[in-house]
Amino acid sequence: MTESALPAVLVVDDNEDNAHIIRDYLEAKGYPITVAYNGDEAMVMFETVKPSLVLLDVMMPGRDGWQVCREMKAHPSLGRNIRIIMVTALQDWMDKRQALETGADDFVEKPFELARLAKAVERNAALLTQAG
Amino acid sequence: MPNYRRLFRGSSSPKVPTVSASIDSVRQKIQDRKELLVLYFNFDRYTKIEEIYGWEQLDEILDTTTEAMREFFQTSALAGSQVMVNFHNDDDFVLFHIPDQAVPVPSDGEITALTAKLHESIAAKVEEAHGEDIAALFDTFVGRAHIHYDPKIRLERQLYRAIREAASSSNSVEQREFALKANDLRETLRLGALYIDYHPIVVAETKEIFGYEALARGKMKSMRRPEVMFEVAAQTDMIWELSRLCRNTAIGGMDKRLERDQLLFLNVDPHDFTDPMFTETDLDVPDPSRVVLEITERTAIRDYPKFRGRLKDFRDRGYRFAVDDAGSGYAGLGSIANLEPNFIKLDISLINSIDENFIKQSLVEQMVGFANGQNAMVIAEGVETAEEYETVKQIGVHLVQGFYLHPPGPDPASPAEVPAA
Repeated sequence: MTESALPAVLVVDDNEDNAHIIRDYLEAKGYPITVAYNGDEAMVMFETVKPSLVLLDVMMPGRDGWQVCREMKAHPSLGRNIRIIMVTALQDWMDKRQALETGADDFVEKPFELARLAKAVERNAALLTQAG
Repeated sequence: MPNYRRLFRGSSSPKVPTVSASIDSVRQKIQDRKELLVLYFNFDRYTKIEEIYGWEQLDEILDTTTEAMREFFQTSALAGSQVMVNFHNDDDFVLFHIPDQAVPVPSDGEITALTAKLHESIAAKVEEAHGEDIAALFDTFVGRAHIHYDPKIRLERQLYRAIREAASSSNSVEQREFALKANDLRETLRLGALYIDYHPIVVAETKEIFGYEALARGKMKSMRRPEVMFEVAAQTDMIWELSRLCRNTAIGGMDKRLERDQLLFLNVDPHDFTDPMFTETDLDVPDPSRVVLEITERTAIRDYPKFRGRLKDFRDRGYRFAVDDAGSGYAGLGSIANLEPNFIKLDISLINSIDENFIKQSLVEQMVGFANGQNAMVIAEGVETAEEYETVKQIGVHLVQGFYLHPPGPDPASPAEVPAA
């Protein structure tokens, strides 16, 4: 995959350290990255940057990750083409079932390991390539 | 070009305005024309579709429906005049039709003809995009109210009253249709007018046929979909009779359709266990170990100990059990463990596009691990693509059922359609 083929990723995390670690790591792999530090900002970036992938932290003050996910997926023009990876531990059946209801496509356990996170980004990016 | 407000879901407007927000745009026209037709479109059984196929699928169907409506009204008899379409609640639409000055308001006959055409057109589009099974699952009922504008009464009040009148007239259309279906069901029971489609369940690894799920279909057109047939039966208190007929017909076809080592999966509702004529000894099955009773997880079981007792009677006789639609709710895995199933049939919404959703994959993986611990086998139903098949196989699902592998097929005594009663 050439560098220009890598999809734009929006990283949403209210913890700046986390957001920057993810940004630096994925940028080094060649992904164009935008960072948002809360849900409101994420929605603005979503409409301006039009990313293909979103890495979304769940626990944020104000609009939490689930709500952001729902709103992004319901977006009339961008909702269909976006893949959303939730950054949270979904352990039991009910957590995953509820995550599915919000429209999320994938999840990465928190606290995250960068290698796993990259793997999740890659497998979702691969599906975008197929569809595109 | 009609003055056409695109207020549908999936259009460029994310929020659909309410009736009150739209009134101002038509106020003048209504005052000038002094007449107005309000049509209320009630799309029945959408809830059922959501229950079976999941909300993503329903959203897609709603998009198809709105697109079909939009197309239809652009070319219909109402297109040339002022038409406004409004999204009312989750699955109903309201349409205000204010004809041009010289054009008369369409007659009841014209609206009936238009409704039939609209239904056909939507059904065709839904069938094309989502398949015959889904298209057969819904009906369109249109209610109408013809109002003459009265300047003494506030326009808003007149419109809301008209919407209520149109909604109630759509309900009475629905009730009339229902009475016809109830009649068809009674005839079905009297004549035994059922046939069974046997849907193969295959071993995921080898694709060998492991067994068949019996799907009862009415021979009358209105009774073709089992969901419809059972819904009518539930509302008319004919469930036990219908269930008995379905079971007996399916068991009766076993010898002709199944090889000796193949199992028959029979759908049983938890309520069937309260039928005094449904017992482990009353079923006319020579070898109970070849029969798997599928119990849906969707129906709430009120008295668990008693229910488990009934299951035990069947189990002792050799019957096996499957939990159907497993994972459809939030109940988790505990309620499944309670039934000690031999088979766990995953809810179809978990399989639909599973290759593209890693949360679904994680859920199914969890279910396979759970089943292995319980000595049960997991069945993925609704597998429609090679990608879905490869994904579930890789996760370790034991058995697979779906159009990708085999469509359901009737027993050799093929059905002849019975005309409506």
